[in-house]
Amino acid sequence: MKVLLAEDEPDVQLIARLALKRAGLQVVTVGNGLEVLDRVGPEQPDVILLDWMMPDMDGFETCMRLKADPATKDIPVIFLTAKVQESEVAKALALGAIGCIGKPFDALTLGAQVLAILGK
Amino acid sequence: MVAAGFAQAFAVVWFGGKRSASDAAMNIANQRFQQQTRMNRVVVELESAQRSFLLTGQAEFRAESDRRWSDYGNLQTLMRQFVDQPADQKALADVDADLQAWHQTVTALMDRRGELTDVPAVVADQTVVPMRKIKNALDKIERRDLALLAEQIDQTSENNFRNAIITLALPAIDIVMLLVLVTVLARILLDPLAGIAESARQISGGNFDVRLPPAKRDEIGALVKAFQDMTTAVQRRQHELTDALAREREISQLYASLRTNAEQESARLQATIATVPAALIILDAPSGRVVLQNAAAEHLIGREPDDPVERLQHWEQFRASYRDGRRCPLEEWGPRQALRGKVVVGQELTLTAPDGRSIPILVSAAPLRNDFGAITGAVAAFQDITNLYEVDRLKSEFVSIVSHELRTPLTSIKGSLQLLLTDVPMPDPDHRVLMDVALANTDRLVRIINDILDISKIEAGKLELNPRPYNINELVRQSIQSVNQIAQGSSVTLTTVVPPDVPLVMADPDRTVQAIVNLLSNALKYAPARSEVTVAVTPETGGLLRLAVTDRGSGIAADKLGQLFQKFQQIDGADTRKFRGTGLGLAITKALVERQGGSVAVTSEPGRGSTFSITIPIAAGRP
Repeated sequence: MKVLLAEDEPDVQLIARLALKRAGLQVVTVGNGLEVLDRVGPEQPDVILLDWMMPDMDGFETCMRLKADPATKDIPVIFLTAKVQESEVAKALALGAIGCIGKPFDALTLGAQVLAILGK
Repeated sequence: MVAAGFAQAFAVVWFGGKRSASDAAMNIANQRFQQQTRMNRVVVELESAQRSFLLTGQAEFRAESDRRWSDYGNLQTLMRQFVDQPADQKALADVDADLQAWHQTVTALMDRRGELTDVPAVVADQTVVPMRKIKNALDKIERRDLALLAEQIDQTSENNFRNAIITLALPAIDIVMLLVLVTVLARILLDPLAGIAESARQISGGNFDVRLPPAKRDEIGALVKAFQDMTTAVQRRQHELTDALAREREISQLYASLRTNAEQESARLQATIATVPAALIILDAPSGRVVLQNAAAEHLIGREPDDPVERLQHWEQFRASYRDGRRCPLEEWGPRQALRGKVVVGQELTLTAPDGRSIPILVSAAPLRNDFGAITGAVAAFQDITNLYEVDRLKSEFVSIVSHELRTPLTSIKGSLQLLLTDVPMPDPDHRVLMDVALANTDRLVRIINDILDISKIEAGKLELNPRPYNINELVRQSIQSVNQIAQGSSVTLTTVVPPDVPLVMADPDRTVQAIVNLLSNALKYAPARSEVTVAVTPETGGLLRLAVTDRGSGIAADKLGQLFQKFQQIDGADTRKFRGTGLGLAITKALVERQGGSVAVTSEPGRGSTFSITIPIAAGRP
């Protein structure tokens, strides 16, 4: 299972990558939404993990674009949110994401959570 | 008067009687005398006639003598009527006897005349002497009668004099009495009338202080009384008029001074309205039109149009909406409510101008009443709270940003620690403890940030809840799961008591779990080791379920119970070793529960334990 992880914070990126790898998932990391759109084609991930706040293009817009593009709209998107606003979850789901994982996340169970959301 | 009349009548009668009596007496005396005189003359004529006959023998003398004797006889008879004194009667009777005798003699002589030779001598012999005696007697009687008459006359004169006096006096008295009467009547009649006339003159002259004569009880008196009453009435009316006039003047003055005051007040008010920095408008009842606005108000809505009247009407082109975007109908607009008598404070609205510009404002309005309490208009003040909204937005943004910023490094720390803990062998138990501490505190930091964020949202009114029908058992299970480890750490037993047929509740699951976890955490803080903490769900009136968390801790003093749910409240004596709250937990719980339509409560018995409970609404229409 390949995960495309979009997270602009390097430390968090690291933790997330390690956590996911421990769960047996393959991880490709990018730093912002633009890069996600660039890499989604070549990488063909099974799931995209999007951070909400990113420079250049935030998670919100990235998701919109992904879902607008027929080539990418079917790739499941999970948001990483700081759960600052309740509406974030609703918005995420409205955009077509299949779930949210809050930050700070439990590194030991991150992979399991992703799989759970994916229904596996 | 009457008495005088009677007296007079009596006097007249009495004196009159007396007079007639003396008159009668005098009359009689007069008659007597006259008859006596006549008798005497008759006797003289008788003698003469007889002598003539005796001397001449002429028959006419004899006839006359007879006639005279006849007359004498009548007179004698007549005289007896007048003479009442016995002495007088005797005298008359004597004379009469003498005369009878004489007549007899003379008659015999007259019969034998032819036989006589010397008549004169016979006459002289036989007649003269007796005749002389008779005449003397008759003269005596006559004289006596005359004396009587004189006496009577004197008497009568006297009487007459007295009578005259009286006769004169009576009328005189009458006249005097009449004069007196007239004078009195005059006084009685005329004085009052004169008095009334004079009073009337005075009154018409304007002088009302007249003194009227005292009224007696008669027609004049009635007139006087009536006049008095009229005067009094006129006086009173005059006073009333004077009073009314004085009052009029007073009122005019008062009005003038009130007007001046009102003008000053108005000027002051105008000046105040003009210079006060808040936007003020005044509306007119009942039309609701804006009739006055100050410079600040004009500034608020923009200065167009140029015409001041049109500028006032400009207000009608604005649309108002509530903060959440709902349209505010005209009747709910603060100033409009004030026109209906309501006092509106701090109504938050957004005014949208015709050009699309929107201004957030804070409205306060109150009715204007006149002296009778009727509403004549409304005054409203507006505050442009764009700044406030901005500040609010910045604060929210700030909190969002900060909490996000804080969570990011925490994620890294937590993640690192977790991975280290699992990947790195740590045979030294102290090392493991250190790792636990690090992780625990990381979690604590996260909780603090969450609490701050929550309280910030609550205060900004931005706490979003998504209640949906949920099974309370599930919520309780999730809550217990979160705190299970802590409970195990103090060997505290967690017990749940939930009725089997409990209905679904209408709740935001995450937030309700947060509330229940808060109560459980607090309970676990104070529960002694190996004690029991109970979660009990019971039905409550009003369509609610009550969830109560009970601990067997040291309890809380009664005077502290009221403060517990306020911000930053820490209960004294909390064990610092167990995790300490931010002091915000209960305040957040309270806000969450109340936003859902429930309430919080606490009971405690110092030394025995405490029970914190919340109520959650039952999902309506669901079993």
